[in-house]
Amino acid sequence: MSYLGYVVGAYAVFVGLLVVDAIGSRLRLRRALQVARQRQQRQDARRSAATGPLELER
Amino acid sequence: MQPIVRWFHQLGSPPTFDRFARRWSRLFLIASLPVLALGLWQALFVVPADYQQGDSFRILFVHVPSAWMSLFVFALMALYAAIALIWKIKICEVLAMACAPIGAGFTAVTLLTGSIWGRPMWGTWWDWDPRLTTELILLFLYFGVIGLYMAIEDRRNAARAAGLLAIVGVALLPVIRYSVDWWGSLHQGQTIRLFGPTTLDASMQLPLWLMVIGTKLWFVGSLLAKARADNLQREAGKDWVQRQLGGAP
Amino acid sequence: MIAPGTEPGLWQTARALASRDLRLVWRRRGDALQPVLFALLVVVLFALALGRDPQVLAANAVAVLWLAVLLAGQLALDSLFRSDAEDGSLEQWLLAPVPLSWLVLVRVLMHWLTTALPLIVISPLLAEMLHLPHDQWPMLLASLLLGTPLLSLIGGMVAALTVGIRRSGILVALLSLPLYVPVLVFGAGSVAAAARGQDPLGALLMLAAGLVVALVLAPLATAAAIRISLS
Repeated sequence: MSYLGYVVGAYAVFVGLLVVDAIGSRLRLRRALQVARQRQQRQDARRSAATGPLELER
Repeated sequence: MQPIVRWFHQLGSPPTFDRFARRWSRLFLIASLPVLALGLWQALFVVPADYQQGDSFRILFVHVPSAWMSLFVFALMALYAAIALIWKIKICEVLAMACAPIGAGFTAVTLLTGSIWGRPMWGTWWDWDPRLTTELILLFLYFGVIGLYMAIEDRRNAARAAGLLAIVGVALLPVIRYSVDWWGSLHQGQTIRLFGPTTLDASMQLPLWLMVIGTKLWFVGSLLAKARADNLQREAGKDWVQRQLGGAP
Repeated sequence: MIAPGTEPGLWQTARALASRDLRLVWRRRGDALQPVLFALLVVVLFALALGRDPQVLAANAVAVLWLAVLLAGQLALDSLFRSDAEDGSLEQWLLAPVPLSWLVLVRVLMHWLTTALPLIVISPLLAEMLHLPHDQWPMLLASLLLGTPLLSLIGGMVAALTVGIRRSGILVALLSLPLYVPVLVFGAGSVAAAARGQDPLGALLMLAAGLVVALVLAPLATAAAIRISLS
């Protein structure tokens, strides 16, 4: 009986996991940096708005 | 002793951990590749075919390391969770939660390769073999930890709740294994399923150990990468992250 | 304010909590019978799915009964802590002069008395509906008596972990089912083993040992889970 298909399938599953895992790590990192970047943008926007004409002056 | 303790303490600081993880995750992942490649080559082409099972036994060299990883990662996850709960160390919460998807992945591979191996052996894609059944329950435990972590809004509480579940899970895992073994033996009259060569010939040991070491190296690299990402996300508002955003990831 | 020296002890708080729980259950006694109704429904559905043949029903009776009790108990887990968490009573527990795990133990015991014990009481009726041979009934009752408190104790921990989550639904089932496996295996398996002439004592002893360990450890884990959920 030829087991070639099964062996190839099993090894493909294993390698597939490593690939999916690596891609997952990369995606997580990208999302984390995106979140940080968005926060920075919001903070910058708030800072520039705070020094605008709405500031109360004596 | 003192410099080691001090180094551990420093690692708990988020920016230090980020630098550490960025460098070492890359190194570990790169180091794992030749080991895995050599192991896979040995397993596929060098080791002679098994007398009883022919070439299909080669699946052992991906099935067994994945099974060992699925258990090892769960235990490590529980250990990180225990440290996080007892000493309230934030980075250990992150490490514990980063373990979960990797462990779940290895468990899934164990189940899939076990099923593929079983097809030529038993004629079916699935059998309620006690070991496979325990792996399936382990997969549900992983899903539970991940699901609980995602269901709670506050990240710290989520990590601690999921961590507590992981600790309870690891404590119950031997009981689950024992009960499933007993359950499997209740129907002793049927054919005993063979699941792997009964003795491991010396020639078979090299590729197995290569795969075991290779998957561990990969795991460390992957864990550090995921933990780094989570760490960055949690600390997104802090200055050190903002300063870093200018440079490359 | 509690005057120093007059703080309630373990038994007083247990009595107070127990009587409060019983009174609350009595006021909603219709709701309290829902697990029983659910178990009955499960048995009916299984009978409809398996067919009328008494042999087939009898062969599967133990498994169906155990599953009916297990699933009904799981539905009842929601009432363990949720209403107290919503009105703030659970936070008062954190401030109590007695250990949190003691309060948890009393609460789980009352919950078992009001949700699982009725199930055990109607189990002979359900067993008769599934044509379970009468000589297996004692084993079934013994396994349920040992197993259901275990399910309540383990389920209590899962309920505490999820008490803060809105619409946790399927998550409770996902979390508790792997932890329930040993109880289900030894519980249903002991009856099945006895039916086939094998010695069920080992399985029953495992259940008993698990119950003893769970009586001590589960409330501790549940207390830790409550603290995490409320923080």
